[in-house]
Amino acid sequence: MSGNIVVAMDSAPPPDHIPQVPELGATSAPLKSAAFFIGAHCKEYNEDFMLCKNEKRDPAHCLKEGRRVTRCATDLINKMRENCLSQFDAHWQCLEKNNQEYQYCRKFERPLNACMFEKIGLTKVIPGTPEGKKPIHEIENPIFKPIQK
Amino acid sequence: MPVPWEALIPFGLLTTMFGAAGTLMNVSARAQNQGKPPRYHIDEWDEMMMERDRRLTGHVRGQTSDTQAPPEFKSNSAWVGKNY
Repeated sequence: MSGNIVVAMDSAPPPDHIPQVPELGATSAPLKSAAFFIGAHCKEYNEDFMLCKNEKRDPAHCLKEGRRVTRCATDLINKMRENCLSQFDAHWQCLEKNNQEYQYCRKFERPLNACMFEKIGLTKVIPGTPEGKKPIHEIENPIFKPIQK
Repeated sequence: MPVPWEALIPFGLLTTMFGAAGTLMNVSARAQNQGKPPRYHIDEWDEMMMERDRRLTGHVRGQTSDTQAPPEFKSNSAWVGKNY
């Protein structure tokens, strides 16, 4: 009862003693498409950042690790666009039409995974897959799939 | 005996009206989502990402894979607080 909801915006630039890294301009669908490759390529930096955040949730504490994560992800997306642009675009555009869910876009995911392995050497690995079981993205006839061809 | 075509008019009306209403709803939903089917089961993560997309492209469903963010992106973040 006592307070009004305020939307606050701060257009002041960050202080000079903090190094600046250009933020990643990719939106949610391309990031979701590239997610497992970012995980494979940037594993150390991502883990560093997560462990740092685990110590303290203060934003100022993990700026350095955050810059490294941003740089690594930017580097990978640039490499993806350079080498596999058409497969990448096809996959994330399919994801956008399907509520950004992977099971509806396997048809576009397979060429993207093949191109990424061939050109950049990264494979999509789903951590936590039970031993001996085929990962869901490699099953030829899955149960959950698009209804229309 | 001739076909009682007047009795089939209500069936035709029902089909047409349901079809028109459904089509209009579909077209309206797609128009609000830049020609794509609307998002559903949106959780807080998705809301946060869609807000980030709005800051990057101007529309919650706008998408780009360009790694260079527009210059406004540095300063157009907003957060909600309470004014005591």
